[in-house]
Amino acid sequence: MHVTRVDISAIERELQQLWQERASEAARTGQAVTRALTLNLVARATEPQLAERISAMAHELMASHPNRAILAICRPAADAPQIDAWVQANCLLTAPGVPQVCGEQITIDAHGAATAQVASLILALLVPDLPVVLWLPGATPFNEPLLPRLIGVLDRLIVDSRELDEPARGLVRMAAFERDPGLPAGSARRVALSDLGWAALTPWRELTAQFFDTRPLLPHLRRIDRVAIDYVPAPGPPNPAAGLLVAGWLASCLGWTPLEDAVRVVGDTLQLQLRRPALGDDPNTSRPVMISITPVTGTPDAPAGLAALRLQALDGVTADFRVARADTAGHVFTTAVIAGHPPLHRLARCAEPALIDLLAAELRLLSRDHTFSAALHMAARFASQLV
Amino acid sequence: MSNEALGPPPTTGPLDNPLRTGLRLGRTPEPCTMVIFGASGDLTSRKLVPALYNLARERRLPAGFSVLGFARRAWDDNAFREVLHAAVTANSRSGPAEPDLWASFAEGIFYHRASFDEPAGYTTLGARLAAIDSERDTGGNRVFYLATPPEAYAEIVAQLGAHGLNRSSNGGWTRIIIEKPFGHDLESARALNRQVLAVFDEQQVYRIDHYLGKETVQNLLVFRFANGIFEPVWNRRYVDHVQLTVAESIGVEDRGGYYDRAGALRDMIQNHLTQLLTLTAMEPPVAYDPDAVRDEKVKVLRAIRPISPAEALTATVRGQYGPGSISGHPVGGYRAERAVASTSQTETYVALRLFIENWRWAGVPFYLRSGKALPRRVSEIAVQFRSAPTMLFADTPVNAIEPNVLAIKIQPDEGISLTFGSKVPGQAQIRPVSMDFRYGTSFGVASPEAYERLLLDCMLGDGTLFTRRDEVEASWALLTPILQGWAAAEPLPFPNYEAGTWGPAAADAFMARDGRAWRRL
Ligand SMILES: NC(=O)c1ccc[n+]([C@@H]2O[C@H](COP(=O)([O-])OP(=O)(O)OC[C@H]3O[C@@H](n4cnc5c(N)ncnc54)[C@H](OP(=O)(O)O)[C@@H]3O)[C@@H](O)[C@H]2O)c1
Repeated sequence: MHVTRVDISAIERELQQLWQERASEAARTGQAVTRALTLNLVARATEPQLAERISAMAHELMASHPNRAILAICRPAADAPQIDAWVQANCLLTAPGVPQVCGEQITIDAHGAATAQVASLILALLVPDLPVVLWLPGATPFNEPLLPRLIGVLDRLIVDSRELDEPARGLVRMAAFERDPGLPAGSARRVALSDLGWAALTPWRELTAQFFDTRPLLPHLRRIDRVAIDYVPAPGPPNPAAGLLVAGWLASCLGWTPLEDAVRVVGDTLQLQLRRPALGDDPNTSRPVMISITPVTGTPDAPAGLAALRLQALDGVTADFRVARADTAGHVFTTAVIAGHPPLHRLARCAEPALIDLLAAELRLLSRDHTFSAALHMAARFASQLV
Repeated sequence: MSNEALGPPPTTGPLDNPLRTGLRLGRTPEPCTMVIFGASGDLTSRKLVPALYNLARERRLPAGFSVLGFARRAWDDNAFREVLHAAVTANSRSGPAEPDLWASFAEGIFYHRASFDEPAGYTTLGARLAAIDSERDTGGNRVFYLATPPEAYAEIVAQLGAHGLNRSSNGGWTRIIIEKPFGHDLESARALNRQVLAVFDEQQVYRIDHYLGKETVQNLLVFRFANGIFEPVWNRRYVDHVQLTVAESIGVEDRGGYYDRAGALRDMIQNHLTQLLTLTAMEPPVAYDPDAVRDEKVKVLRAIRPISPAEALTATVRGQYGPGSISGHPVGGYRAERAVASTSQTETYVALRLFIENWRWAGVPFYLRSGKALPRRVSEIAVQFRSAPTMLFADTPVNAIEPNVLAIKIQPDEGISLTFGSKVPGQAQIRPVSMDFRYGTSFGVASPEAYERLLLDCMLGDGTLFTRRDEVEASWALLTPILQGWAAAEPLPFPNYEAGTWGPAAADAFMARDGRAWRRL
């Protein structure tokens, strides 16, 4: 098809044909093919290379999340309106004798004014009754014209705060979307938001939480009054989104409240002023908390991302918990130094997770991630003072 | 210094770590020291330490976690670390130990040279543990792992009690893991329970059966109770019979001495197959907690129609392998194995039929079989449903429609497959189609080893996947009369099956008598 209009029934026919071919091919070799779909994965790319990467990922996701992928390549800037669509089966390679599991992919390539048709095509191609996930990679997901047109059928929107070109504004937008995704008034639907940047923080959250899984150390968590977050920025202007999210996570989990004018910019560092709640019933034990978020230069081949996270209680019994990248790539060093205890340290594996793993982790969530929502709203409160 | 008083941390109750919310992985256990008795043995090197290393590698163990090996070998900490390093490199599912990770893990590995029956060794053990507590902040938490010959269990337990090591003095917890075999008949299992429970509380005791640590076995419960599709047909109305198979393709290797005294009934049926049976047949527990789950399992065992010594010969089949060949390699017979008597009457194959006399299962036979030197290594639970009324398809060329079978595979590949009759397109023919679901390929991640899950559960204080006192006794109560019946009977003309075949001919006749056949695996 190479036209300015795409015929839905033609795509359906092609899909059917595709399955028949697969099945008869398999039958010849005494195999079985299973078509398995657990979700509609809609993704938008702005150029062919990105489209190829997304396509490879949809294929790879078949192992954990068999899907119908609908990949829209939208190039509104091209002048001649033109729209193409084609289908392919995404099959998993399996051991001999094991039925092959396949999903399917529909690629839509739209140029110029024809991009306006993409949303209606997508709507017609969704497999009914399966969750619909829209993945918008890129710097400005919330300006995407597809978003308002698909919002009524969406179960989840996936963005990546690491890619935002205006991180502070972006976080505020994310939080606004999380609160009100723009569904028609009275709609009972919910749209969950996923941030792959947040998903990448999971190992760091895990390693930090682990310090406090032990009874003797847990009480120190309520006493933390100093947090230092270091990150290696990606090329370009520093994006403190990850740091703000970590700060938001700690503050929302621990009940810290931001002071008025909480955010100060000191050189490249962001300083956040908060107050932690009192310990027990004594209101005099409420204390200020300071969080700093600092870009650091890593080794030349260090990937962008968090480099160190340190939680300290300086007022009273000193306690110092630190997770920091180790010299061995893909590993971190955890240390806990608390007055009255022997210092504890260990090396732990903590590789920067691959995009596909982050995506798979988010697809595993069935509903809203409340921890993320709370962290995001807090992060957006800080971010709003930066815009 | 401010006037903030931390107050003593509460020592019991759930730990409320606010940073845990929303994290998928469960909490990490508190730092503890695992004392492995039998630290120079095969189990330690092949399973325990690789499992611990992988737990550490997956960030599931806290800093401070320590291992203290106990054996007679003349080693020191460093020598022990080297042995374990080689063991991990050879046996870990994640491949050779990664140098930096290993170095960090090995800082917490220590060796204590002593003999089990030597009281002074336990005094020094206590001192060693106290030193580790203060160096590595293990807070008095400890797990004693009995990876020793079973004859040593009682002695070690008594010594631990005599030296006050059955309780932690400083608010920590103490637990003990006991390997199989747990007794060799009802009397000895009861005696061991008495000895253990004279020193430890039942809550401290973790009787391990590594089958329960396998993902598929745990998924069995999820599959049964979280899935609306199968539970309604999981009963006598729809199920014709159930076959439980644990087949090994190896012989007794170098365990001949132990095995010749044990046999297949003790070595496999009493523990692994009984676990599979109870999980397959149990009623939904009121909660997923250690006691609710184990209560239901015990109820199944108590509902099994007892087999008396007099019935033992008709309700069971025994076999012993002779020379043959497995996967193209010639193998000798059982009686030629090292440390096996040349006239041995020990069974290396056993099959039996059990009936569970409750509302759900009355009249449904459960066939259990296990053997060594069989053609393949395979473990599975197969639920065979009753055949559909065939009239509907009476004019099709197949005279009998294959019944629907749900097979839950445990080894070598974990997964579930459902076989059902399906019409061949374009032809009036029905042929079986199987729908497979494999963990390995479906989730794209290597499943953790059974020991990883179980060691972690014990450190977290979760006994759900361990065998409780009444469970182990109920299982022996069921099997001991069979052992007695066999002992009183005439010797059998062993060997009666060739290595590399599916057991004695009598096993097929046993099924044929009921109008059924073993599944071809
Ligand atoms: N191996 C397996 O795959 C496996 C599987 C399931 C269950 N199990 C069970 O696990 C247990 C251990 O099996 P295993 O195969 O590891 O046995 P093993 O290789 O024979 O090891 C026995 C260990 O006990 C030590 N030991 C024996 N007598 C001792 C004494 N008087 N004082 C101090 N240490 C002593 C030996 O060390 P020294 O010689 O240095 O003293 C050795 O480390 C058994 O109950 C077995 O049934 C084993």
